[in-house]
Parts: sequence; structure tokens; C-alpha cells
Amino acid sequence: MWHNQAIPYEADFSLNGNLSELERLAAEISRFCRENILDDEAEFQLNLALEELFVNTVRHGGCEGAENSVRIHLLAAPDGVEVEFADRGRPFDPTTVPPANIHAPLEERHTGGLGIHLVRGIMRDMHYRRAGDWNQTSMKRPAVVAPRNL
Amino acid sequence: MIQVTEETRAGWCIVGVRGRLDAESADELENALHAAIWKHTKVAADFAAVDYISSAGLRAVIQAARAAEGRDVEFTICSLKAHVKKVFDMSGLHQILHVQGELPC
Repeated sequence: MWHNQAIPYEADFSLNGNLSELERLAAEISRFCRENILDDEAEFQLNLALEELFVNTVRHGGCEGAENSVRIHLLAAPDGVEVEFADRGRPFDPTTVPPANIHAPLEERHTGGLGIHLVRGIMRDMHYRRAGDWNQTSMKRPAVVAPRNL
Repeated sequence: MIQVTEETRAGWCIVGVRGRLDAESADELENALHAAIWKHTKVAADFAAVDYISSAGLRAVIQAARAAEGRDVEFTICSLKAHVKKVFDMSGLHQILHVQGELPC
């Protein structure tokens, strides 16, 4: 029996510890958003949050040069995109990083810390746990405007 | 991947940027802005064709703004697309950088 219920497209992919993987990350997110009919802003923000987390593992987590050091799972739910980000880097809990001072003048701006600040600005319901050699962070990018026809 | 152009117009050096400003391409932007700031007294970064920016791109802009301040160079960032502007706003950069809607000339 045919039915019209679309099978939700979930993204599930690994990245190597190399910044050249950013291109593949962008392509995976683009495909995920296209398949789930998510708008440009959702694509932009998912890309931004995932780039920040991924780049942190390469630059600070010790994942540089490691194969399949990051795994990402994306699932579109009616109220937003559920994101699971796992990496084999040093233990790092992004939910406990002190907030960046975004009111500091130019000369006092620390150029670090901004990435996680942006992740926390975009994502909600962030939870972290360490499981074996893996950092596992789950979070949600909320749908700002409720899509029609749902 | 980004493409950077440079042209001089009415006393301003216009640095045109096209593409995605991510952790891989941010150094290229920083180098281009530093080169312009070194040679000119008024520099405008034209972001009309920048589709994406992450904290690495912001960092390049902050470093360029600092270099400009140190050399007494006028530095402005122009024509941000809405999603890109939102990242500047979320970071509080609109308060400490000269961000304007249109090119100065």
C-alpha cells in the first residue's frame, strides 16, 4: 500500500580531524536541510554551531590528524533539529565554559571563547556526557517559526 | 573558500570578499585586510558576497580592526547579509566595530 508519509532523512556521518573536512560538513548539512525543507537560516546556524564544535576538537581537543574523530547525527523534529555531536578528543564539556564577555572593548577582546558562545546562542537543551573515549553533546536547534502544513 | 579583490575608489581601499569565511579561509581574509591596512588610510571590507561566517572569520575581522586602530587607519565593514549580520550582533561586534549598511563610496 502506498502512502504519502515521507520518510524523514536523518544525517549520520563521521569527520576526520582535518579542517579540509569543513567542506564535507557543509555539504552534509546542506543535503540534510534540503531533504527536510529547512530554511537558509537553519542551514546557516547548524553549519555555524557544528563548525565551532568540530574546529575545537581539531585545534584544542587533540583530534588533529585522527580518522573519524567526530560523529554527527541530525534529526529533524517538528520543534527543531536534534543534534548529537560526538568526538574522541580530550574531555571537554561545552556547557560549563564560562560565558564570553561580548561587551568588552576592542583592545580587550579575547579572540577565543567566541565559538562556544555562538553555539550556546544558537542551540538549546545542551547536555554533555563523557562515554569511554568519547565526548557526547546533544542539543537542539529550535525551529524559530513553526513550519506550515504540519 | 573565498575570493578577495582590492580596488581604490575616492580615497578608500575597498576589499571585496566573496564566499564562506570559515576556519579554513579566515587566514586569507586576515592577510588581505592586513595588507590593505598597511598600504591605505581608509579601508572598507565589502561583505555583500559573504554567505557565511564563523568565529574564525570574526577573529580575522577583530585582528584587522586592532591593526587599523594601531595604525590610525579608518576601517569599516559594509553590506552584511542578514544571517552574517546576526553573527556579528550575537558576538557584540556591532558595538565595537564600524559596521555599516552600504559602502562609503
